[in-house]
Amino acid sequence: MKAVSKRVVVLLSLLAVVVSTALAVSLVARLEAPASIRDLGKYYIANTRRDTSSPEAVTAIVWDYRGLDTIYETLVLYMAIMGGLAISTIARKVALKTRVGLTSITRTGTRIITLLIATIAFSIALHGHLTPGGGFPGGSALAITAMLIIPVYTLQSLLDYGVTSTRLVATRGLALTGLGLVAILPVIRGLEAVTNLRFYPSHVAGMLISGSLWFYNFFEFLAVASGFAAVALYLSIPEELYREEIERG
Amino acid sequence: MEGFVYALFIVVLVVNALMGIYGIVFRRSLVKKLISLTILSDTVFVAIILVGFVFKHPVVPPVYSGVEGEEKFLLEHASDPLPQALVLTGIVIGLAVNALIAFGIIQIYRLTGTTDAKKAIRVLVEEVMEE
Repeated sequence: MKAVSKRVVVLLSLLAVVVSTALAVSLVARLEAPASIRDLGKYYIANTRRDTSSPEAVTAIVWDYRGLDTIYETLVLYMAIMGGLAISTIARKVALKTRVGLTSITRTGTRIITLLIATIAFSIALHGHLTPGGGFPGGSALAITAMLIIPVYTLQSLLDYGVTSTRLVATRGLALTGLGLVAILPVIRGLEAVTNLRFYPSHVAGMLISGSLWFYNFFEFLAVASGFAAVALYLSIPEELYREEIERG
Repeated sequence: MEGFVYALFIVVLVVNALMGIYGIVFRRSLVKKLISLTILSDTVFVAIILVGFVFKHPVVPPVYSGVEGEEKFLLEHASDPLPQALVLTGIVIGLAVNALIAFGIIQIYRLTGTTDAKKAIRVLVEEVMEE
């Protein structure tokens, strides 16, 4: 009881300090919120449709204006996950063979929710050049399904479905190869790497795909989803170990 | 009023960042250090977003929806796309590095049987001494 009240006092005093400091700063220093964005941002908003044929300025910056940066950033992501998997394979425990999971209500609910999450993840990724979103948010959303299935259906059932970490890492490698190909392909016609509209068409069969942006989003979606699902598989503790601990008392 | 909200935002971010730094430096549990690191990095991301944010009533994303004469409205009301793109990149890197650190912590736990930084170092040093 005493610990709780002490915690409340600390929280309230912190709140009071924060609010009073903000009040003092806004009154004494006359801090004004900025009324307009910088000229660089205005340039991107004004020219994104002409330069990249994408109505979504953020995706245009990520994959076209600063496309080369993002390619290398994907490389960093790849190296970090590979490093993590390399560390974790040093002392790998045996995979569990139990299928316990949670109750049937949770299972049915998870089945529906997983389907919805997967659908939304695809729409976030494949519509990334038109609406907010893109390959990375979509891929993270799809990887969430793996993180949801593991506690509800157990790790073993996911492995039984054929979703093994080896396959996920292989998918990841294929997707990154595709990403690299999309970036390098313009070189064969004498253009520099990560060229967008001068090499790729802006429309396919009457649908706006904004040149290479759609392909980048798609491959990044696959790479991120399989990479983080692999991380989830490696990080999840085999249920067998829990059982041993419980039986030991 | 807008100035106050802006100042409140900045003060909250500073306090949050200080809390993250406190956790990284003074907490002995490696897991809590990792949590503090994510708090600190997310605070920095929100600060970067705040740099390109416009406090004008209809706050809209920098996305064209296909209406006529939309460009003038977006130039006045949309938030800056560049900080958002940078933060998107930063989140990806941050998540990957956090995963790497999490793997490292698990590995330290497997080797030494503890996630306490000082105890883990003591166990490792003793093992080296024995060899």
